[in-house]
Amino acid sequence: MKLERKDFLTMIGGAVVGTGVGTVISPGPWMGLQWLVEWTQDQYRPPKGEEKYLASICDRCPNKCTIQVRKIGNRAVKIETSNQGCAVGQLLLQVLYHPERVTTPLKRTGKKGKIDFAPVSWDEAIADISKKINDAINNNKQEQIVAINPAYPDATSMLTERIALFSGSPYVFQESGYWALSNACSEIAFKTDGAIDYDFENADCVVSFGARLFEGWGNPGRMHNVLSLWKKKGIKFIQIDSIATRTASLADQWVAIKPGSEPLFAMGVAHYLMKYGKRSGAANFGRFTELLINKYTPEKVSELTGVSLETIEYVAKALISAQRPIAVAGRGGKVNSSSVAEFSIIQTINNMIGSMGTSVKLASFTTPVQPVIPKKAKGLDEYIASDSVCDIAIINNANPVYSSVYGQRLSDKLKKASTVVLLTSLLNDTALYADYVFPTITSLEIPVAGDAAVTLTSDAKHAGDSLLGIAKSIAKISSQFPWKNYLETVQTVKHQTKNIANLDIPVDLIITKLEETEKMLSASGSYSIAMIPFEIPTVSDGSGLSLPYVLKGLPDTILKGDTSWVLMNPATASKEGISEGSKIDIESSRGELDTVRVHLTKRIAYDTIAIPIGFGHEEFTDYASEKGVNPKKIMSDAVDPASGYADWWLTRVKLS
Amino acid sequence: MAKMTRRWGMVIDLDKCTGCGACNIACSQENNLPIFKDDSDVPKRVTFLDLVEVTNDKDPKAQYPDVKVAYLPKMCQQCSGNDPNHPQPPCVSVCPVVATDVGEDGVVSQIWSRCIGCRYCQVACPYEARVFHWWKPRYEGTFKKSLNPDVSVASRGTMVKCTFCSHIWKRERDRAIANGVTDINAVTYTPACASACPTNAIIFGDLNDPSSPVYEAAVQKNPRAVRLVHSIDELRTKDPSEYEKRLKIKDYPNPKVYYLTSQQWLRDKISGFKNS
Repeated sequence: MKLERKDFLTMIGGAVVGTGVGTVISPGPWMGLQWLVEWTQDQYRPPKGEEKYLASICDRCPNKCTIQVRKIGNRAVKIETSNQGCAVGQLLLQVLYHPERVTTPLKRTGKKGKIDFAPVSWDEAIADISKKINDAINNNKQEQIVAINPAYPDATSMLTERIALFSGSPYVFQESGYWALSNACSEIAFKTDGAIDYDFENADCVVSFGARLFEGWGNPGRMHNVLSLWKKKGIKFIQIDSIATRTASLADQWVAIKPGSEPLFAMGVAHYLMKYGKRSGAANFGRFTELLINKYTPEKVSELTGVSLETIEYVAKALISAQRPIAVAGRGGKVNSSSVAEFSIIQTINNMIGSMGTSVKLASFTTPVQPVIPKKAKGLDEYIASDSVCDIAIINNANPVYSSVYGQRLSDKLKKASTVVLLTSLLNDTALYADYVFPTITSLEIPVAGDAAVTLTSDAKHAGDSLLGIAKSIAKISSQFPWKNYLETVQTVKHQTKNIANLDIPVDLIITKLEETEKMLSASGSYSIAMIPFEIPTVSDGSGLSLPYVLKGLPDTILKGDTSWVLMNPATASKEGISEGSKIDIESSRGELDTVRVHLTKRIAYDTIAIPIGFGHEEFTDYASEKGVNPKKIMSDAVDPASGYADWWLTRVKLS
Repeated sequence: MAKMTRRWGMVIDLDKCTGCGACNIACSQENNLPIFKDDSDVPKRVTFLDLVEVTNDKDPKAQYPDVKVAYLPKMCQQCSGNDPNHPQPPCVSVCPVVATDVGEDGVVSQIWSRCIGCRYCQVACPYEARVFHWWKPRYEGTFKKSLNPDVSVASRGTMVKCTFCSHIWKRERDRAIANGVTDINAVTYTPACASACPTNAIIFGDLNDPSSPVYEAAVQKNPRAVRLVHSIDELRTKDPSEYEKRLKIKDYPNPKVYYLTSQQWLRDKISGFKNS
């Protein structure tokens, strides 16, 4: 066929018009343009896949909340907590997929004090560690072994305890917290073990002596349910504190006291209870009442705490008039600091109002039989402060170099030790002094019923399995660990609730503590300012700071760049010549912190600064390291003789 | 398919909020919010839900210890405007490229990839609920594995905001259709913040539904209800004629998020209403 020039031009014209119309009508070119935009910005497209929801648990606190994991293909993309639990459950994916998560056992290759590790096989690491423990047992150096557990114990805590005790070491500790303090109180005042457990769900009046119940205290998931219940039932809730915390603002009444004067305030309340005929059948109650009558009259308590007589009486009357009242001990949120004496005074109040055995019980674990070795140090801080030699340390899901006020001394001890084993998912401050790091898994990777919600893809193991691996390789104690794996071990640890049969009020301990508290309150001279801690629920004890979605929620009056902020009342600031945003240095008798900035707020008591805890890690991923200051470095290090833990709540400081 | 009759809204009981942060974290995870090593520059921080700390301590009359603190989960307030037939939230009316619009269900959408980054909407928003991507979103290493394929990752230079997790509604709609349900109004859903809240302080639902706990006609009668920086609400009973007059003002936001509180100081702070 002959093609005329005109036809050719018509065809070309038609093609041009057709292409033009097609370009406008078809989405192809526009999609291409969008892809081009995305390509130039290197925009990431999350892969699609089959959607599934798998059951799992959050094991970050004793509440063990059940959760659902939304999965796309083999990726977990969301945690569904279904209106229960707390923010920690929502953060599990940030731990699971943290780019700095430890994925294989590590062995130190450089000097201690730095993150200098190389991968090592499980067999090689466990063979070396078990040889060291075997040698210590054979050479009668068992007491150079120490085991440190997290603040809230679980079945893995039982395993570390067992390794130490069957090896012959008396040194088994937990990080400082409610569980340790509460158990120490039970041993002395109730002559048994167990953490004090309150029946919040059925209470009709609750007086909290500094326990920030809705800011991470106890089991946060349970406490959130309790708040909903209280709002529905309209129960009376009185909070004693020196800062307008959220817990204080949620209370029906906030009683503002001088920082650190909670045990004295409790004596004032006890005095009014006695005045209104409330008595206790506890041992030493006579001496306790003598103390109330002769030394801690309401007038004196009012003067020491800064609370009016009417308010002290009001609190006592609120407890008396309720059917199921509770007085709660344990200052703080997730991180607690107090003393056995303070716990004991508050439990005496519970005894006087008839709540012991009804609204106040003990929670403990039953564990397989293990040796009883007399304690040589009551608590971790007492151990660190002592001259005890540490050659082998097993540190289970804890960061004591950061969390203890004796962190510096502990690091010195660990530097000299031949074998420090740290079980953790992220390298932290304690890893700086570890010889071996064993990677742990998240609860999402534990098979709950059948398969795990997320398949484990690394060389990590559950801390319990790692500890079993070590224990089974130690010739002299391996027979004491008959369990195949961690899940079998869990079955042997049973929770139990116990009634409190007896109360033996440790009056001498109380007298000493109250005298010390009075001294701390009246301390003058150059250390004229009181320093007390506060906590951000998502940062918690500091473990949350490594997770970037936590950083997204922090106010810039807590952390701005690398600088921590402290809270101060404007009246105090005016006296000290300080204005909003001023840079200050805080110094206690123990040392000085790096510079912080000041946020002025009337939420805090006069002549006081409130400092956030959980910041100032020397090492804890790129997200948390060197951010802010760690106040524990200068906080009060006076060790409570009954618990063996430092009561660091109130520290006298000076500002410059 | 039936016409959409749902009008999604939220009621947040501040007397139950502990400030635990679960809503903020759940929102970040659900919506693929970017990750930075330093996220302390608050005005430039990309969040859809801010947990704002509110206190009366700046009140000249307030003295320690007569001060309080509360937390206010603040997200896009999903404004309706004052014309029910032609909803015009302040942000929608200024967008030159229709990157933000109001759906039939009342949700104010935001299409990241259509946004040209002019930021007019950010200026127009009375609630500072819109954020701009100053930097390219990064998800270091394995963090990428947790990204939600239902939400596209926004580019640098675009505006983003809370959409009441409307992608979850679409997911539920697709599920319903797969199960043979053709009535679009039968599809319900819960945004990430509301399903994460451990004290049930955040309640989500249909403002038009008399059986819903967020039924607007009932919520408006609740003496504890207050809307953010919306002093006009106080006039509804105090000065009805002035209220009617102000209702006609163009770009009256009329948000679909209600807060509940029995604390008068907090009501005053939230509404911005001055009795004097």
